[in-house]
Amino acid sequence: MGQALSFGLTQYDVEELKEHCDNRFTQAEIEGLYKRFRALDRGRKGFISHEEFQSIPELSINPLHTRMGQVFNHVNFKEFVHALRATSKRASREDRLRLIFAIFDVDNDGRVSAEDLELMVRQLAGTSLSEEEVTTVVEMALRDAGATKNGLSFEDLATALEGAELNMDVELPLAY
Amino acid sequence: MTDASESRAVTGGTGLSGAMSGLRHKELSQSELRELDFKVSRGSQDARDDSRAENAIEDYVVKSERSRLSQPSSTVLRDLLDISSFVQDAAAAIVDDSFLRCFQSQSSDPWNWNIYLAPLWLIGLIVRYLVLFPLRLLLLMGGFLLFFIAFFTVHAIFKKDPVRRARWERALVQFQCQVFVASWTGVIRYHGPRPVNRPNHVWVSNHTSMIDYIILTAYSPFAVIMQLHPGWVGFLQTKVLNCLGCLWFNRTEVKDRLIVAERMKAHVQAPDTTPLLIFPEGTCVNNEYCVMFKRGAFDLGATVCPVAIKYNKIFVDAFWNSKRQSFTAHLGKLMTSWAVVCDVYFLEPQKKGKDESAQQFAERVQRLIAERAKLQIAPWDGYLKYYTLGVKHPDLIEKRRKVFADRISQYIKPKAQDHSEVNGSGKFGADQAGPRQRPVTRHTS
Repeated sequence: MGQALSFGLTQYDVEELKEHCDNRFTQAEIEGLYKRFRALDRGRKGFISHEEFQSIPELSINPLHTRMGQVFNHVNFKEFVHALRATSKRASREDRLRLIFAIFDVDNDGRVSAEDLELMVRQLAGTSLSEEEVTTVVEMALRDAGATKNGLSFEDLATALEGAELNMDVELPLAY
Repeated sequence: MTDASESRAVTGGTGLSGAMSGLRHKELSQSELRELDFKVSRGSQDARDDSRAENAIEDYVVKSERSRLSQPSSTVLRDLLDISSFVQDAAAAIVDDSFLRCFQSQSSDPWNWNIYLAPLWLIGLIVRYLVLFPLRLLLLMGGFLLFFIAFFTVHAIFKKDPVRRARWERALVQFQCQVFVASWTGVIRYHGPRPVNRPNHVWVSNHTSMIDYIILTAYSPFAVIMQLHPGWVGFLQTKVLNCLGCLWFNRTEVKDRLIVAERMKAHVQAPDTTPLLIFPEGTCVNNEYCVMFKRGAFDLGATVCPVAIKYNKIFVDAFWNSKRQSFTAHLGKLMTSWAVVCDVYFLEPQKKGKDESAQQFAERVQRLIAERAKLQIAPWDGYLKYYTLGVKHPDLIEKRRKVFADRISQYIKPKAQDHSEVNGSGKFGADQAGPRQRPVTRHTS
């Protein structure tokens, strides 16, 4: 008769999840994330809704809150862990670049087009930049990258961010 | 900002520091955050507090600017794409946040799933639900019956003698509260001197559940300021507790809040009234944390008597999660547990210092209560339970967006900057030539 402290995660589950995120998280971290996931998922639906996401005050004042809400839209726990792996302290540079690319790739077609970039700049800069300024900036940026009509590929993004620190580690809560 | 380090010392102890780390790395400390939040939640009533909050934002903006400028020169593309700090902030909030922690029930670990303990637990369960609960319900109902008969009789008899009527009614309410406490076998230890009726005093306490009020009034009657509830609780509030001079309001109605503020002032200054009790957190917290104290109680010019209430979770968690549970269900939970164990501390009355703002005074009293009741202070306004911070205060997002926009707009508005930068070999032209120069020249030509 086991005490259900791990909330029903079996060793198989944990190992599968660890593999799914390329061992970026330890077992203890996965358990901590699972506890957090269950706390956010108020209705015990198995996924996190948009409203539940927006109810985190610290997140709701983040300029990226809408886009993060889309990236984390209705994620189940497996997707949750996978999306967060870039913020582990064991994450590789590529993990981080992949996450940034996924955030910029709004229409999810594998390239960051001018439209994607425009949408993102609007979210990041808000009303402080006018429409024309946004268009100018996006044009400039794409020209800098020597991008084709289809926009930036993942490699273009990686080149542009070469040398940038990209620090996005976060301290994870532990389950116990 | 003298108390910034102190409040960080109180909060920084354990888990909260992790939760706040996403913001911490930006040097935006908790007390600064509290000021921002405080400022927006009060509107612009107090110009001085406004400017303090402005300063906090200014500092934050200036620091970000400085750190940007100290980095090696960059391109517009790179500045656009490097969103790592926003992602870090967002992820830190996703994996852990200090707000939701304040309102999570503490579920105790199951101990009974064991062949030896399970039968004992089962016997306990039967005793609690089939023996204790009916007895307690009977006691409560009997108490209510006696109380209502006596109360409305007194109400009718002493119509012409309001002083005596008030004394009787007070005693009856206290009796009924004692019946309530008995109905959960309340094991309550009161520490400190018993409160007395005096003008110009106000009692403030941390808030875990509506039973806080019952527990305090069972010892000494209080008038309270509380949200008006629907159902039978609302009936008691409007028909019975009004005799103590309690004030009811609707949290979300701004007009109500103003009326209450007026009446609160009148109540405190009146010579012979029931002591006034205020829960400055404005919402129920899980008795592990203590959220921001609202300023109202500390603005009255009255002496503030802090009360700390600490529940022992050994048998039942007294936190009332009003979003998940009705008050009746909450009472049911308490009445089917073995006992409610609780310590109440009446602390030394505090006066506002000469050069202390109401907000600083509130924070000082909050620290006293938090220390006594072993609570961790969280910087959030408890009303965030009822609205989304970003939706209600878009200016908080805009402030952060502006930093980003400023960084970007230096590439397209070279004329606004120092002229030397426009002249070809500015700060982003010296070591690298190439396509980045083009927009600059285009604008100058």
